[in-house]
Amino acid sequence: MEIKILNLTKAYGDFKAVDDMNLSVEDGELIGLLGPSGCGKSTTLFMLAGLTEPTSGQIFFGDKDVTKVPPEDREIGLVFQNYALYPHMTVLDNITFPLINRKVKKAEAIERAQEMAHLVQLDGLLNRKPSALSGGQQQRVAIARALVKKPQVLLLDEPLSNLDAKLRVETREEIKRIQQEVKITTLFVTHDQEEAMSISNRIAVMNRGVVQQYDAPQAMYLNPINAFVAQFLGMPQINMFQAQVTGRGIELDGVLLRTREQLESAGKKIADGTYQMGVRPESLELCEDGFIVKADNVRMTGRDLLIFFKIGTTEFRALTHSDLQLREGDNLCLRARKNSLIIFDADGSALVKC
Amino acid sequence: MNRKSYKGYVYLAPVLAIMLVFTAYPLVRAIFMSFCEDYSIINGSYKGINLENYADLFKDKDFRKAITNTITYVIFVVPLSVVISLLIANLLNSHIRFQGLFQTLYFLPYVTSVIAIGVVWRWILHSQYGLLNSILNFFGFESIGWLTDRNYSMASLIIFAVWKSLAFDIMIFLAALQGISPDLYSAARVDATPRWRVFFRITVPAMRPIIAYAFVMGIINSFKVYNEVFSLFNGSAGPSGYNSAITIVFYIYDKFYNNYKYGIAAAGSVVLFLLIMFFTAIQRLPGRIRARKEAAQK
Repeated sequence: MEIKILNLTKAYGDFKAVDDMNLSVEDGELIGLLGPSGCGKSTTLFMLAGLTEPTSGQIFFGDKDVTKVPPEDREIGLVFQNYALYPHMTVLDNITFPLINRKVKKAEAIERAQEMAHLVQLDGLLNRKPSALSGGQQQRVAIARALVKKPQVLLLDEPLSNLDAKLRVETREEIKRIQQEVKITTLFVTHDQEEAMSISNRIAVMNRGVVQQYDAPQAMYLNPINAFVAQFLGMPQINMFQAQVTGRGIELDGVLLRTREQLESAGKKIADGTYQMGVRPESLELCEDGFIVKADNVRMTGRDLLIFFKIGTTEFRALTHSDLQLREGDNLCLRARKNSLIIFDADGSALVKC
Repeated sequence: MNRKSYKGYVYLAPVLAIMLVFTAYPLVRAIFMSFCEDYSIINGSYKGINLENYADLFKDKDFRKAITNTITYVIFVVPLSVVISLLIANLLNSHIRFQGLFQTLYFLPYVTSVIAIGVVWRWILHSQYGLLNSILNFFGFESIGWLTDRNYSMASLIIFAVWKSLAFDIMIFLAALQGISPDLYSAARVDATPRWRVFFRITVPAMRPIIAYAFVMGIINSFKVYNEVFSLFNGSAGPSGYNSAITIVFYIYDKFYNNYKYGIAAAGSVVLFLLIMFFTAIQRLPGRIRARKEAAQK
C-alpha cells in the first residue's frame, strides 16, 4: 500500500509536534522514522494509525484519504513500544482477538493465529500468558497480533527499545525478515540511528517536528543535507569544527586540510571565510604526507581503535583498524580522505563535499 | 530466644504492650464473657461458665431475625454496590465534561456523616412528602410506606446503604482504572474491539484484585452494619414497635446498653466474628484456586 502524507501538522497549543510534513512511501517499503526524543516521530506514527488526530493536512493510503478514518477501519497493524499485550489473555487469545472482533469464525481465527505464530517463531508458546514470556517473545506476539488481520500497513513504535543489546540486533533482523515475507508497507519509529540504517529502505530524519532529510541510509550517511543529520547519523559522531577557507585552501590552526585545487575540484565556489565543517572519524586515515598530531587518548573498542587528538584547541576523533600499535602521547600522521570533508553554511545546510 | 532477637523484642515492646492491652485483652475478655452466665460488668461476677448465653441467643427470635436481616443486607448491598460502582467509575473515567465535578459529587457521601445522610434519606423515603414516592406517584404507582411499613424496612435500608457505599467503591475503582495502561485501550481500538468486550476482557480482568478487595471490605463492613439502621429509623431498628430492620450489631448494642445482658451481647459478637470469618474465607476461595492453577501452569 502506498502512503502519502501531505502538509501534515499536529499542534498542541503553540507547540508544533509535527510541522507541515510531506512524505511518500512506496508499496512494500520499510521506512524508519528517526530522530531525537520529542522530534514528532511517534506523533507522526500515531496520526498514521488514526489514534492522534492531525491539526491539518492529509494522509492517503493508496488513493484513499484516510485522514478522518477511525483506526479500526484503516487496515493497519500497530505495535506499541511496550507491546500492550492483553495481560489476562493467553498468547493465542491475544493473536486471535483482532479476528474475533471482526467476526472471523473461531476455528479459522485459530488457524490463522497459528500460521502467524509460526511466521514469528512462537510455536509452542500459544498457551502461555504474556507475563511468562521474555521481552523478545512478547515483541513477536505483538507483531503477530498486528499482522494476523492482514493489514495493508504495519506501524511499529520504538519496536526494539525495550530489548537488551544482543536481542535488539536479532529482533531487528527478524522484523526485516517478517516484513519481507509478508511484503507489507512498514513504518517504524526509532531514536537509534544504527537500527534505522540497518533495516530501512529509506529513513526520514526528523527534528523539532520537521523532516530534515528523507533518503536511503547510505545516501543519507554520505551526503547529509545539513549539520543536524550529519551529527545524528554515525557512531562515533562526526567531527564538527570551525575552519577557514583562504587563498591556500582549508586551514585549521595552521594545518592545511585541503589545498585550493582540492577545494575547487569539488565544483562549487566557496567564498573565503570561516565555515562549520564536518569529517567522520573513519574518514581520517593514516598516511605518509598528511598532518602530524599527537594521540591524547586511545580507546580499543574491538573492531576499531578510537584515537582522540587535537588540532589547535579543536578536539577530533579518528577511527583506525585495531591492529595499529599506538600509545597515548605517540605522534601519528593523518589525512582526511577524498570527498569526506563537508562544508556547511551559516544556517547549517551542507554546501559542498571535498 | 537468642541474644540478637532479644534486642528486637525490646524495640517491639511498646507496640506489643499497647496491642495486648487494647486489642488482644478485650478480644479474649469478650470471648470469655460470652461463656459467663449473668455476667456483671460492674464487679465482674458471674453465676457460672456454660453455654447458656448461646442458648438464649438462638432461642431469641430477634437474634434470628438479626442474622437473616444482616445476611440479606450483605447479599444485596455488596454486589449491587460493586457492580453499580464499577459502571459509574467507568463512566467517570471516560473523557466527559465536568469530570472533576462529578468525581467530587460521587465522593461526597463518603466524607459526610451517616447521620446527616440519614436525615436526607428519611426525607427522600418519607411516606407522604418523600421524593421517592412523588416519583412513584408521577408514574402512576401507589405510595409506599418505606419507613413506616415493616415489609419495606429492609428494602429501604438496602437502597440507602447501596447509595452510601458507592462513594468508597467508586473511588478505589477510579484509582485502579487510572492504573490501566492507556495503550491497552489504544490497542483495543486498532483491533476494532466492541465497547462491551473492552469492558469485560480488558477492564474487568485488570481490576480483578481491586474488585476482590472491594468485596472483602464490603462484606466485612456490611456485616457490621449499625449506623445505617440507626440513622434511617431514627434510633430504632425499624418502624416504631417493630424490629423489622434489626441487624446483628444493632442487637448486640441493644442487649449491652439497653438490657444490660453483657454475656448475651458478647456471645452475639462471637457469632458475628465467626460469620464474617466464614464469608471472607469463602469469597477468597476462587482467588486462591486461580492462583494455584496459575502456579501449576508455570
